[in-house]
Amino acid sequence: MTTIDRRAHVAVALILVLIAAACGGGDTAEGGDTGSEAATSDDAADAAAGAAEEDTESDEANDEAMSEEIDDDEATEDATGGEDSSSGDRVEIRWFVGLGSGGQPEQIAAQEEVVAEFNDSQSEIEVVLEIVENDVAYDTLSTQIAGGNAPDIVGPVGRDGSNSYAGLYLDLEPFVEETGVDLTRFDEETVENFREEDGTLPGLPFASFPSFIYYNTELFDEAGLPYPPQEYGEDGTAIYGEGTEFEGTWDWDKVAELAAFLTVDANGVDATDDAFDRTQTVQWGFVHQWVSLMYAQGTAFGAGYPVADDGSADIPDQWVDEWQWYHDLVWDVGAAPSQEQFDSDLLSGNPFSSGNVAMANSHLWYTCCVRDEDGNGLEFFDIAVFPSHQGTVTAKMHGDTFRIFESTEHPDEAFEVLTYLLDDAALPLLNAYGAAPADPALTEAFYADLDETFPQGVNWQVARDSAQFSDVPSHEQATPAWDEYKLAMADFESAQLSDPDLDIAAAAGELEAELDGIFAAAE
Amino acid sequence: MSVASAPTGRVGPPPALPEDEPDPPPPSRLHRRQGRIGLVFASPWVIGFFVLYALPMAASLWFSFTDFNLTSAEPTSFVGLDNWRRLFGDPEVINSAWVTVKFGVLSLPFTILVPLGFAYLLTSKNLWGRSFFRTLFYLPSVIPFVAAVLVFNGMLNSQTGWANRALGAVGIPGPNWLNSEVWIYPTLTLIALWGVGNAMIIFIAGMNSVPEDLYDAAAVDGAGSLAMFRHVTIPLISPVLFYNIVVALIGLFQYFLVPFVLKNGSGDPNGSTFFYSMYFYRTLFRLQNMGYAATLAWMLFIAGVVVTGVLFWSAKYWVHYEFGERS
Repeated sequence: MTTIDRRAHVAVALILVLIAAACGGGDTAEGGDTGSEAATSDDAADAAAGAAEEDTESDEANDEAMSEEIDDDEATEDATGGEDSSSGDRVEIRWFVGLGSGGQPEQIAAQEEVVAEFNDSQSEIEVVLEIVENDVAYDTLSTQIAGGNAPDIVGPVGRDGSNSYAGLYLDLEPFVEETGVDLTRFDEETVENFREEDGTLPGLPFASFPSFIYYNTELFDEAGLPYPPQEYGEDGTAIYGEGTEFEGTWDWDKVAELAAFLTVDANGVDATDDAFDRTQTVQWGFVHQWVSLMYAQGTAFGAGYPVADDGSADIPDQWVDEWQWYHDLVWDVGAAPSQEQFDSDLLSGNPFSSGNVAMANSHLWYTCCVRDEDGNGLEFFDIAVFPSHQGTVTAKMHGDTFRIFESTEHPDEAFEVLTYLLDDAALPLLNAYGAAPADPALTEAFYADLDETFPQGVNWQVARDSAQFSDVPSHEQATPAWDEYKLAMADFESAQLSDPDLDIAAAAGELEAELDGIFAAAE
Repeated sequence: MSVASAPTGRVGPPPALPEDEPDPPPPSRLHRRQGRIGLVFASPWVIGFFVLYALPMAASLWFSFTDFNLTSAEPTSFVGLDNWRRLFGDPEVINSAWVTVKFGVLSLPFTILVPLGFAYLLTSKNLWGRSFFRTLFYLPSVIPFVAAVLVFNGMLNSQTGWANRALGAVGIPGPNWLNSEVWIYPTLTLIALWGVGNAMIIFIAGMNSVPEDLYDAAAVDGAGSLAMFRHVTIPLISPVLFYNIVVALIGLFQYFLVPFVLKNGSGDPNGSTFFYSMYFYRTLFRLQNMGYAATLAWMLFIAGVVVTGVLFWSAKYWVHYEFGERS
């Protein structure tokens, strides 16, 4: 009996341990894709479902970081308690990071540092940093919002990333006017790029990523073609190949013409030749590099907004023209990769970086990825100005920023923190994020860093100049039911890159009808 | 006298218990203690079932009657049968269900017959190195399926994949495996065959349990290999066959991983890989429309129960149990 008793006790103890382990949640969590292990507290579960709190700890956390984490946890518990989100006499402002950059170890350190500096600098406000892995950040934030426990500030995040929560952000314009924040230091287009259709300004410029054309100098040399232009003309339109047999307006027709010359099959035949075999293509002339969602792609032919004044869908004509142009380029000329080719070993999902594509439309952020496997910058490229369409240049802009949720109980304090992040803390954060400053006064250091990575001497002035041709309204301007809108656009893109027989005009009509339904349902 | 001690070999019903049969003695202290320990040991599963299955299922049933949406700032409200009405009029539901059925019609016979065929060959007495081949054919099941699908993605790329290069080398133009509406289901079926090792092992176990003397008797009666397979093997492994069909059908309802990894949930080409589970995933995780997604999930559950129920009903006509029991 004694033996049975002992066994029973051990068994009960073991089972209790098992139950506790199963129900108690993890004390530690591995980093996600980024490999980072952040010293953060994630209170998503507390917020909505009352589930167990999950903490993540850094392996390399020192005592100071540990004590900060404990402070964070306590502060978060206060905040989730449904009571006044104040910590003692200080107003607590929660800063949610995870929708965009911010999850890498060095980024976490930089963010913690600027938060610590802010908290040390005054006695009225305490910033609480909440870092969530990117792959669960949307679910976490959504859960917090649904549970009535939204953070005060979210970011850095682009417009696309923040559109899922459109309508939940605070209009910053009254605060700008009240506090006299100087926005004149930014290009006007850069500021306007953040304005919503209803006239509100929920974001202020922080990081800007203008778009332009990346071109492979080696492939142009090999084809004996002049490089694309690097200066905008007076009206924006540039001239290609001045003084050569190829001279002409630097527009999308010229891009298509060059792309055909630069597209080559396995037999060395280019796409201008009838003998060209597109099933054996080994080199392509042009690609929309990671900007092929239909609203992004279409904006190359001109800015537009797909929602009419009455709330119905109204796809801009120039977008449809561009969709047709790119479909023709992929399927008729064979000068841009289809989805199948995009996924092939020759392009491996990163076409321009493969060295097998001559020109790519992309943004400044793509400098992240024109690199070899070791992260060293590739030296075969330079950048050119954006082509025009019917005399107009529209170099669409991506911009990261921080936003304040309208639900904040402390809008004034949140705006003070926001201006700190956009101003005093901007440089260390931008450096950590690898983002281009929206403030022209801060760009020198950023481009100097890029020059170190890409020693071939890329003409970054092109990027600076392209900012003045930003798309207004932004191609990422929020629409009703943004997520559904985006999925519908993604489905169209899939068809465009997979179906050689797709009737673009008819499909665009069907898309418009589908969007009509989506927008109507959202109202 | 207890039933257990009744003499054997008697004809007729067993004797009734005498009315004055004393109540069984109460369980001993030891039995009670052991019973409690047993309950303690079972409790993690019981608790886990309620916490991880029963409660979420109940919650999702409730959600299906609400407009619960994570990205909405509006409070969740009860919408009655709105989600269910929407489901029955939703063309995406019909399309995605049709995609699932089409694929099932093509794929299911292969995912049953191919492992059955492998199992038959691998139980042949005349096969040299049976263990080696069994291991060889089972081996793909050990490889993480996501990795396998990614390998297939590269291998079947019409431009650079070695499948088409190999076909091209012998003068056969390779098809567009992954981006043709005609070829995508054969491709998915081909990929599905990669994971038939489990079903094959179960078939082998079933075939090995068929009594040898039945084959001997059939041989004496002049049955050939095909007749033996048809009239001896199949009937006697029909419970195993039934089990594998049920598992394959449920797998079809849940078919997600391959098209998701292969096509990133896009449904390409032209919606032909937009399976029902893909629509469910999109509604739940991309649109975060929890209310409607819960409705889709329950519809899937109901459809699964109905189809499985029909299968169980049909079992009495073709599944043969050695000792006559059916369940």
